[in-house]
Amino acid sequence: MAIGQILIVAAAALFWGLVMRERGRSHFLLIASILVIFWLQPALPLRGFDFWLPAATLVITVFSWYITAPEETRRERGNWVAAAVIAGTALLLNLTRFLPFDSILTGARPPQTGIFLFVLGAAGILLLLTTRLMRFNAAFLSISIIGLIIVFLAIKVPALTYWVSYGLRSLTHQSLAQAKVADLRWLGFSYVAFRILHTLRDRQMGRLPAANLAEYVTYVIFFPSFTAGPIDRIERFIQDLRRPQDKPKNDDLLIAGQRFTMGLFKKFVVADALALIALNDTNALQVHGAGWTWILLYAYSLQIYFDFSGYTDIAIGTSRLLGFQLPENFSAPYLKPNLTQFWNNWHMTLTQWFRAYFFNPVTRWLRSWNRPLPMPAMILLTQVATMVLIGFWHGVTWNFTLWGLWHGLGLFIHNRWSDLTRARAAAWGTTPLRKNLLAVSGALITFHYVALGWIFFALSSTSVSLLVFSKLFGLK
Amino acid sequence: MTEEITSVLAKFIAEKILKQAKKVIGPDEALISSGLVDSFSLMDLALFVEDTFGVRIEDTELNAQTFDNLSQLTALIVSRQK
Repeated sequence: MAIGQILIVAAAALFWGLVMRERGRSHFLLIASILVIFWLQPALPLRGFDFWLPAATLVITVFSWYITAPEETRRERGNWVAAAVIAGTALLLNLTRFLPFDSILTGARPPQTGIFLFVLGAAGILLLLTTRLMRFNAAFLSISIIGLIIVFLAIKVPALTYWVSYGLRSLTHQSLAQAKVADLRWLGFSYVAFRILHTLRDRQMGRLPAANLAEYVTYVIFFPSFTAGPIDRIERFIQDLRRPQDKPKNDDLLIAGQRFTMGLFKKFVVADALALIALNDTNALQVHGAGWTWILLYAYSLQIYFDFSGYTDIAIGTSRLLGFQLPENFSAPYLKPNLTQFWNNWHMTLTQWFRAYFFNPVTRWLRSWNRPLPMPAMILLTQVATMVLIGFWHGVTWNFTLWGLWHGLGLFIHNRWSDLTRARAAAWGTTPLRKNLLAVSGALITFHYVALGWIFFALSSTSVSLLVFSKLFGLK
Repeated sequence: MTEEITSVLAKFIAEKILKQAKKVIGPDEALISSGLVDSFSLMDLALFVEDTFGVRIEDTELNAQTFDNLSQLTALIVSRQK
């Protein structure tokens, strides 16, 4: 997000939080969130898709609500109003194509209104048919989960994305030779998909709280956290959403202001300055000497932290104005004394998601075997699989796979190491000085391990990553 | 009753997870957010609670928001035993 966009979003939140408060709050949150997903979606080479992708986000979200909501919640009248607000806002956005100037609310001029109405009608009929013909049982929810994962993979596996782009270009009569991965840059979908997957799975387990259509859609595309998280849980989010809003207290305003300003400073001053010297595909090839290579790597390690945690501060600060206390995503991760602690404090809502829906169920399942695997094998398997999947969440490429492996192995090694040395370290670290020594040396080792892992994350090719490794250690 | 549960849990964590039988774990000492109990050991703890007290802790509940110390875990167990 550009700074101008952030300031407009924050001004809207401040106005509603201070002046409007409870009046029309739920409609404001819903409409603002819909506008934001269209507004922030960048223009794409694929004609019309900067409109169709956010529209698809809405369709997927509404479908997901329908199949997860209990029967009595689905029947509430307010849902028709919410549906009309959603369709109406999207229609108004589409009608901006008739403005005499380029609308700023969509990436490019929206597609023809006739086609939009046809798609809207088709989505409505599909929804009706689904409700008539299907029973929303566990099997149907499993199919929906798999379907959503397939859509997710279609934009995360470069080879697949290429072929999808190729297919879509034949629909839009555009040059097939120009098909490329960047054609399908679907803003915010990684977060949207994971919020929806959480609701589908919780519904399957019978744990999902009832939420009406407006609440569900607002949860999935909530505008302060749409592009960069955090990934909240719906049961927590709707508590904040349903709590009547008094005038924000001075404390709320102070905290919101502090977080927001801190976020802007982290992102637009610190991170953007560090970006000038942070490791990237170009300077990785140009740099000579181990010292300079380390500087690029340190700059990248700090830049990614300040950039991402800055965005989180902005999201938390903005939403605080509207009465939401979003979960934290970072808690001084680089100061933690080991890799396990690092991952408990880096992009926390994503790691909690993977723990809840992958690591814990798989560990529980492995433990339930009649003849379970040896403990170290189980730990290795679950840690590596979880971290590789977290790598895939960023993109299914060799480098993200290696980054996931790097961290999975690191967590396994730390687990075994601490199992071996925990008692000895506790016996030795009896004075404050010794304790500090252990903590500081642990933090330094952990930071460097994480920094070396960023080499895979920051660069797009494995061969360049290996070249950087050799430069760091004076081998090239 | 609650004290008994807390002391059984404290003994399990000290002996089986931390492998320091003599370690005293206070009822309000942070377990998860402090990193004392890692994510793999957390499942050990959940399975132990299930076997010993007949109370299930869901996969989505194994985090510091649900419980982060022995007092909170004990309260969770007691509330589900009723």
